[in-house]
Amino acid sequence: MAHPVQLSLQDATSPVMEELITFHDHAFMAMSLISFLVLYALLSTLTTKLTNTSITDAQEMETIWTILPAIILILIALPSLRILYLTDEVNDPSFTIKSIGHQWYWTYEYTDYGGLIFNSYMLPPLFLNPGDLRLLEVDNRVVLPIEAPVRMMITSQDVLHSWTIPTLGLKTDAVPGRLNQTVFTATRPGVYYGQCSEICGANHSFMPIVAELIPLKIFEMGPVLTL
Amino acid sequence: MAPEVLPKPQMRGLLARRLRFHMVTGFVLSLGVAALYKVGVADKRKKAYADFYRNYDAMKDFEEMRKAGIFQSVK
Repeated sequence: MAHPVQLSLQDATSPVMEELITFHDHAFMAMSLISFLVLYALLSTLTTKLTNTSITDAQEMETIWTILPAIILILIALPSLRILYLTDEVNDPSFTIKSIGHQWYWTYEYTDYGGLIFNSYMLPPLFLNPGDLRLLEVDNRVVLPIEAPVRMMITSQDVLHSWTIPTLGLKTDAVPGRLNQTVFTATRPGVYYGQCSEICGANHSFMPIVAELIPLKIFEMGPVLTL
Repeated sequence: MAPEVLPKPQMRGLLARRLRFHMVTGFVLSLGVAALYKVGVADKRKKAYADFYRNYDAMKDFEEMRKAGIFQSVK
């Protein structure tokens, strides 16, 4: 989860998120280049008494300030397209879990090797233990393996929701009547948090997602029934 | 006695000269800012991730977390 006043992206827990962070750095670098140039031009215009009120036909300048932005945009677009296709790669997932959005909780279905289905409600503040995170903890977490591609099938029972875990680089809309697919491979064990990311009513801010990522061989041992 | 004649000052093209100087300086400085960001932030971050994962032991990390009691599914 984010630490207080965090403005940057969360640390990556999947290779795709690492690529997203790298792309963000690339786009931010282009943005700071342009912003600095414009700020410098603005300041140098404001700090002179020299003027020219009859500028016409600056063809060379116009060519440069058309071609150069086009080149910058291409330099941003190429890595963007690369990562767009990277995020859509589906590389033979080992495991499929369904996530169904409701007002205002998530249902998880593990139907690959049995029929485990459970709801995941936010823990109200009065039910929190010391050290728990307010408005982020849930009663039943979704348990997933690391170092194995996992497919999430996401849909909704009622209105639009969005299943999000920032550190894994996941944000997938839960649309009623539609099954959206997202695939990820996590690299580190731990407990990772996300929040519903599509306005869905009064308790939209109170239906978080908590993923417990554990090593594959521990995951394969089967669920510890905490329901 | 003949009066001293000063050299004629530059009277034209002052703005053009200033613009040329500042456009070049602006481009160079902004490329420098971009290079600083690339080296100081972007490459540093990539190296940090590479260093983290070079000798990373997921099982050891998991065991430490399990002993700290953060997991619900494994105690």
